[in-house]
Amino acid sequence: MLRKIWAIAYKELYLTYTDRNQILIILVTPLALATIIGAAFSGFLSPGGNDVPIRNIPVAVVNLDAGTEANGTTINNGQTFVDLLVPPDDISDEDLAANTLYQLTNAIETDDAEAARAAVDRDEIAAAIIIPADFSASLAFADGTTITPVEVYGSAASPTAATIIRSIAETITAQIVTGNITVAATIEALTARAQDDPAFGITFAAASSLGGFQPDFAPAFNPDNNPVRIEQQTVSGEAVAFNPLVAFGAAQAVFFMMFTALTGANNLLEEQRTGTLQRLIASPTPRIVILLGKLVGTFFKCVVQVTLLVLALTLVGSLIGGELQFIWGNNLLLIALTIIAVALAASGLGALVTSLVRSPEQGNVIGGVIALAMGALGGAFFNVQAIPELQTLQQLTIVYWGVDAFTALSMNQTDIGLNLAVLLGLGAAMFAAGVVIFTRRLNI
Amino acid sequence: MDAIVEVRDLAKQFKRQNGEAFFAVDGVDLDIMRGEIFSLLGPNGAGKTTTIAMISGLLNPTRGSATIGGHSIIDDPIAAKKLLGVIPQEIALYPTLTARQNLEFFGRMYDLDGAELRTRVDEVLEFIDLTDRQHDKVETFSGGMKRRVNIGVGLLHNPQLLYMDEPTVGIDPQNRRRILDTVVRLRDEKQMTVLYTSHLMEEVQQISDRVGIIDHGKIIALGTVGDLIHKIGEEDRLVFKVGDQAVPEALLERFKAEVEGVSSATYEKLEIKGENGDAPVDIRSTSSLQIADGTITVMAQRGRKALPDLLQIANQAGLDVLSVEVREPDLEAVFLSMTGRALRD
Ligand SMILES: Nc1ncnc2c1ncn2[C@@H]1O[C@H](COP(=O)(O)OP(=O)(O)OP(=O)(O)O)[C@@H](O)[C@H]1O
Ligand SMILES: [Mg+2]
Repeated sequence: MLRKIWAIAYKELYLTYTDRNQILIILVTPLALATIIGAAFSGFLSPGGNDVPIRNIPVAVVNLDAGTEANGTTINNGQTFVDLLVPPDDISDEDLAANTLYQLTNAIETDDAEAARAAVDRDEIAAAIIIPADFSASLAFADGTTITPVEVYGSAASPTAATIIRSIAETITAQIVTGNITVAATIEALTARAQDDPAFGITFAAASSLGGFQPDFAPAFNPDNNPVRIEQQTVSGEAVAFNPLVAFGAAQAVFFMMFTALTGANNLLEEQRTGTLQRLIASPTPRIVILLGKLVGTFFKCVVQVTLLVLALTLVGSLIGGELQFIWGNNLLLIALTIIAVALAASGLGALVTSLVRSPEQGNVIGGVIALAMGALGGAFFNVQAIPELQTLQQLTIVYWGVDAFTALSMNQTDIGLNLAVLLGLGAAMFAAGVVIFTRRLNI
Repeated sequence: MDAIVEVRDLAKQFKRQNGEAFFAVDGVDLDIMRGEIFSLLGPNGAGKTTTIAMISGLLNPTRGSATIGGHSIIDDPIAAKKLLGVIPQEIALYPTLTARQNLEFFGRMYDLDGAELRTRVDEVLEFIDLTDRQHDKVETFSGGMKRRVNIGVGLLHNPQLLYMDEPTVGIDPQNRRRILDTVVRLRDEKQMTVLYTSHLMEEVQQISDRVGIIDHGKIIALGTVGDLIHKIGEEDRLVFKVGDQAVPEALLERFKAEVEGVSSATYEKLEIKGENGDAPVDIRSTSSLQIADGTITVMAQRGRKALPDLLQIANQAGLDVLSVEVREPDLEAVFLSMTGRALRD
C-alpha cells in the first residue's frame, strides 16, 4: 500500500521535475515574487532610506493624559506619543531625515479629540491617536491588565496607513507598559534577592549608590534607537520586532503554494483525460491509495515551493538589511513544521477540489478562485486587519493560519500549536471529504 | 469449461446533451469461458467501451452485475481486478516517461516489485518487440509503437483475463496483423482469456472463438462465427459502389422482384466519421439523396448467378455501377440481416 502511494507520488514528482516548463515556474516564481516584494519593502526597512514607499502619513496626536504622581514627580506617558511622533519645532533637517518615524508620519499635536476624529472622517488625515485622560493613572498599577486603551481612530479610506498608525500606537503602548513592568519587576527581584543574599545585597547597594545600576529602559524611548521597525504588541504584552516583510512575504508564499497544490490536483483530471487515471483505477489499487499518492506528491511540491520562497525572501531581507539575516526567527524545527502543516493543508484542499470538479478547465477556474479568495482574505494583497467584517472569515483560510504562524515564529514566539492544529485539521478534513467524494464518484 | 466472466442484465443509462436519458448498454448477459477469445462486435456507439468500463470497475452500472473469477467487480473490486489486464481503446501512457518507466510504474500498480518487476518488464518489452527502444520517451514513438506499449502495460502481471478495446483502431495493416497475432498467441501460449472488441468484422472473424454482436446496447446475436453465419441462411452479399449517383427506391424494389434468389436490397451512403472517430454523424438514408460513396447491398442465395441480372437492371435505370464485390457470408452479413444496417469500417 505504502509502496504504491510512494510510487504514485514519485511518478508525480518525477514528471514535474523533469518538465522544463515546470522547473522554470518553480524557480522563477519565487525569485520574481521576492524581487517585487523586495522592491516594495526596501525603503521601508532601511532607516533613513530616501525611498520609503509609505511616508508622511498624516496623523493627529491628541494627548488628553492628565498624568500621574509617582515618587513626587509627575509622569505623563501620553507625552511619550507626542515626543516620539511629533518632531520638535527646532529640529534640524538632518535629524528629521534620520528619524524613520518622523519620515513615516506627518504628525501634528492637537488637544481637540472631536476635531481630530472629524478630520479623519473627512479623510483629511489617515488616523488620530487619542490618549485618554487616565492613561498614565491606569498604567501606575503596572500589571498591564487595567490599562485604559489608547484609541486609534483610522480612516476607512486609507486602511494601510491606518493599520500602520495602529501598529505604531500599539508599539509605543507596549513599550511604555513593558518599561513599567520591567522596572517594577527588576527592582522587585533585585530587592528580594538582596534580602536573601547578603553578599549580593552589598554589591547591589554599592552599585546603586554609585549610580552604576540603571534600569535599562531608556533606550526603548529613544527615537533614534528604535522606530526603525514597526513593532507589534503581543498577547503577553512584550514588545518584539515585527518584520512586515515576513507577514507579507509569508502571505505570498502560502498563496503561491496553494496554486501549486491546486495545479497538482488538476493533474489528476489531466490523467483522467489521457486515460492513465482509468488505468490506475482498473488496476487493483484502491482509490484512496491513488488519491493519497497524489496528495503526497502535491505535498512535496508544496514544501519545495514554500521552502524556495522562504529562502528567496531571506535573500531579499538580507539584501535590504545589508547583512545576512534569517528573517523567519530562529526556531528551525517549528518553521519546518509550519511549512509541513501549510503544505498538508493546501494538498488536502487540492484533493478536495480534484474530487469535486469534472475537468481540468473547471479545476483551473475553481482552484484559481479559491486560491485568490484565500490569498485576499489571508492578506496577500491588502491588509485585512483594517476590515473588521473579514476578520472572522479569514480564519477559515490556510493563508491566515500559515502567515500568523510564520509571523509569530519570526518574532521568536513558539505558541503556534493552535495554528498547526488548525492547519492539519483543515488538511485532514478536506482530504477525507475528497476521498469520500472521489470514491463515490464511480463514473470516471 | 467454466466461465471466468459472468455478466448478468448489465445496463448503463446516460443522459444525452439535451437531457434525455438513454441506455448505452441495455441488459447485457455474457459468459466468457476460460481460455477463449470472445469478441464483442458492434458499430460505433454500440456500447462496447461502456460495457468494458463497467466490467473493469470504472463505471458504476445502472443495474445488473458482473463477476470476474467469481469476485463481484462492485463488491470485491480489488480481488476481481487482480485477475484482469485492461488495454484501453485510447493510448493511456505517460508520454514524457520512457517505455520502460511506463511499464515499471504500472507494474507497481499491479503489485509487482523488485526483481520480479524487472523480469516482467524485460519479458513484456521482448514480447512487444521494443527492447531496443525501451529507454526512449513514449512521446517520440510512432503510433504503432505506442499501441504496443499500451498493450504491454496490460500484460505486465500475466493476467488470466485481458480486455482489449478496439486495439487496432488507427493502425496500419502490418501492425494490425501483428496485434491480431499477439492476441492469438496470448491465448495459445499463455492460456489467457481475451475479451476483444471491434467494429471490424474481418478481424473478429479471424481470431474469435465466440462472438457477441452488440447493437444499441443489446447483444443481438451470440455464438461461434460458424453458428452465426449459419443462423442467417448463408446468403452471399453483393456490394455495388455507385458514387454520388441517386438511387431511386424503385430500383431496389426491382432487384428484389425481378432477380431470382435476392432476399434484400438496401442502399446506403458511407458514414462520415466525426473528428475523434467515435461520434458518427448519422447521414444514412435509404431515400434518393445525392451523396458521395453510395453503396447498394444485395443479399442473394447465389450471388454470382444473380450478378448479371442485377447489373442489367441497374444499367436500364441509368445507374453507372463503379465497382462490384461479391462476398461470401460473413459476420457483416449477419449484422446486416439482423439490423438492416451495415457495420462499416
Ligand atoms: N459518459 C457518457 N455520457 C453520455 N453518453 C455516453 C457516455 N459515454 C458513452 N456515451 C454514449 O453511449 C453510447 C455507447 O458508447 P460506447 O463508447 O460504449 O460505444 P462503443 O461501442 O465503444 O463505440 P466505438 O466503436 O465508437 O468505440 C454512445 O452513444 C455514446 O455516445
Ligand atoms: Mg469504444
